[in-house]
Amino acid sequence: MTNKKIAKTQTGMSELRAKKIFIGTVGYHILSNHSIGPILLPHLKKQNWPEGVLIDELNWGPIAVVQQFEAMKTPCDQVIFLTAIERPNRTIGEITVHQWLGGLPDRKQIQACVGDAATGVISVENLLVIGQYFKVWPAEVFLVDVEPGPEVAGEHLTEEVAIKVPQVVQTIRTLIKEGTNGIKEISYLRGDTLFL
Amino acid sequence: MCFKNLPIAFDEDGNAYLKEGVNDPYEYKVVDLGIEQDKLKDLMAKNGFIRSVDYDPVTRVAGALAFHSVVDLEKKKVLSTNSMATLFRGYEIILKGRDPRDAAYISSRACGVCGGVHATTSALAIEMALGIKPPPLGIVMRNILLAIEYLYDHPLHLFLLAGPDYSEELVAATNPELIDKAGNAKARGKAVHGYSTVLDIMKDLNPLKGKLYLEALSMTRVAREAYVAIGGKYPHPQSVIPGGISVTVTISTLNEVYSRLIKFFDYSQKVTAIWDDVFDFFLENNPDYNQCGVRPATMADTGVWDRPDSYDATFENCDKWGNDRWSTPGVLVDGEVVTTNLRELNAGMEEFVEHSYYEDWDGHRFKTDPLGMPLSPNHPWNKDTIPKPGKQSWRDRYSWDTCPTWDRLPMEAGAYSRMYLTAKAQRAPKSKFLQNTGHSMIIQVPKHTLPAATLEWKIPQHWNAFERNRARAYCIPYSAMVAMENWLLAQQLIREGETKVSTPYEIPKTGTHIGFGAWGAGRGFLTHHLIVEKGVINNYQIITPSTLNAAPRAPWGAPGPYEEAVLNTPILEKFDKPEDYQGIDILRAIRSFDPCMPCTTHIMAKDTDHVVTREVTTCACGIE
Repeated sequence: MTNKKIAKTQTGMSELRAKKIFIGTVGYHILSNHSIGPILLPHLKKQNWPEGVLIDELNWGPIAVVQQFEAMKTPCDQVIFLTAIERPNRTIGEITVHQWLGGLPDRKQIQACVGDAATGVISVENLLVIGQYFKVWPAEVFLVDVEPGPEVAGEHLTEEVAIKVPQVVQTIRTLIKEGTNGIKEISYLRGDTLFL
Repeated sequence: MCFKNLPIAFDEDGNAYLKEGVNDPYEYKVVDLGIEQDKLKDLMAKNGFIRSVDYDPVTRVAGALAFHSVVDLEKKKVLSTNSMATLFRGYEIILKGRDPRDAAYISSRACGVCGGVHATTSALAIEMALGIKPPPLGIVMRNILLAIEYLYDHPLHLFLLAGPDYSEELVAATNPELIDKAGNAKARGKAVHGYSTVLDIMKDLNPLKGKLYLEALSMTRVAREAYVAIGGKYPHPQSVIPGGISVTVTISTLNEVYSRLIKFFDYSQKVTAIWDDVFDFFLENNPDYNQCGVRPATMADTGVWDRPDSYDATFENCDKWGNDRWSTPGVLVDGEVVTTNLRELNAGMEEFVEHSYYEDWDGHRFKTDPLGMPLSPNHPWNKDTIPKPGKQSWRDRYSWDTCPTWDRLPMEAGAYSRMYLTAKAQRAPKSKFLQNTGHSMIIQVPKHTLPAATLEWKIPQHWNAFERNRARAYCIPYSAMVAMENWLLAQQLIREGETKVSTPYEIPKTGTHIGFGAWGAGRGFLTHHLIVEKGVINNYQIITPSTLNAAPRAPWGAPGPYEEAVLNTPILEKFDKPEDYQGIDILRAIRSFDPCMPCTTHIMAKDTDHVVTREVTTCACGIE
């Protein structure tokens, strides 16, 4: 699979350009495993990535993130969020790849997400819903989600998560190179079932 | 004399001293909250109309702010309230032992919307501690940047968070009797905003689809674009540094900003007319709304926007440069200005942890400030935060927020506090666009597509949820005009060749250096207290607006501002059965403060490896 994409130019001519892929880290700082995104951000930035890959933190209000995506001259073809959300039935350090399939909760729930965004809450679920509502996401949106265990304060990852870092990076690389083809198991998230 | 409760007096020359002959000058009474809880328990057992109502979370994401109240649905009264910050963050832990320059980056990551103000307040704390005076253009550009941040924040709050509470959808669901009245109520600001009736406005306040809702989103985008021109990124600017800013400023930069700023001239007129119409309608149709979220106008504000010819970052001159700010720092007690001096504001601050998950601390390292004004052992420079997670109990500890007070009074904070204090105190120097009358602030808005206009925000008789939001609406033209005045100054400085934007400095490797940053967040009062020792941070304490507003009870039982405001709120919502009760009046009261919860709670341990497990459930069921 190639990382090149045929894009229409303004004059209607087709051109081959690198897929634009955004790797965004989402999460509060200083919460140990829950902060895997912010902690790994410098590490990710130092690595070599294919042409067209952007890496940045998205640890802020989803309204500003929406505006950031709207302001991009070239829209993204793929977005990968690196997150750590405590979920049942996972062991600490377990990596799950979620594909965002879109869909929206009811309006009351969307407004609740916007309300949270206005109060400064950082949450990938809020971000997914608000981005979906304002139509900023490309067709391919993934979460590489690492099980953090209970929320604790701290600036470092625990041993269980630290040893999974190479695998986390490899998972992101696989998604960039092969999409879901290279991922053994994938789960799906939808906005209309996210809060049930 | 500004202090009534702290043992601080002043001699004939105005020098502060600790009152003599007081055995334990900083002692305070600790009351047993269990007595109140026993009474409530008894009442609830006897009366089916009295029930606990939990707003958990007030924000949707668990772990932010939760609010517990006991209401009498028959008498339509709130009987008891508890505001709970149910999460903690370790942003201060990490700062101990670090280079002071790390503080801006780390503290600004506490929140998803307040990055710039934390970065700036941190820069100010370092500037004071280390004696760094930024050049005039650095000061002016910082003023513009942060005024623009407010132009992002205020529309976001007014239309995306609080606005839906006044929308046709919400009002129809909670107070349907007002809908017909709104349909017949002529909008007085039609010439400015174009709406014929109040109901027309309320329809466009509807969440997600309403035109005013969407317009606010669009205006936040405009503000963001202007912000990015100076700060590089929103909300975490890359250019705010101790000593000024780190970006080259040219006429082109200023043009980028101006082309966005002027859009707020018209918008200012429109927003203030919109909210005047909506709030006047509510208050005129049911004067009981005056009691929604009401509490005395007892507020603190740090002031903001420094004059380039006045700010020198020194503690010694902080009263002078503080009073020269475009917004005046100080304290209001029941609507009266008791001080506008930053030294007194600083000296009166204390933090208490009797109802929070922290242990009290020993020690009283700084008995006075650098000029000799007495400081309490509970002052932020003396504070040592020792987390103590435990069982949640209304009788004892129930919040990760602390209880900050000034002169032993819980203080409210908000964007509106800066306008209220500035208007009332009349200390701010002459301005091209702003005039403070002692009972109002008059704002001259230049023409854009609308003709120029004179707006006037008047200090209200009742300090309630409606007036907080109304004042916030007027903070849009206030902030825009401060940005404009600073933009003109920036033009002048560049024309005169004063293009330097930062002052170089080095972190001293020896000695103890203390400072505090005092700068308003979008939500008001924000301080960072810093102690640098041998080149690294020895102590770093942050008090945010929501630390003040969401505070739990004081040790002596005084409720925090949210708690007090909700306690005074009548239940005006219409409902047939208790199950239908939505609590809109209480939510209006809380949201009028512009809660920003991620900033609220901070934890600091003795070393950076200290890990504290969150042991607080956000569910209030079963809490005693």
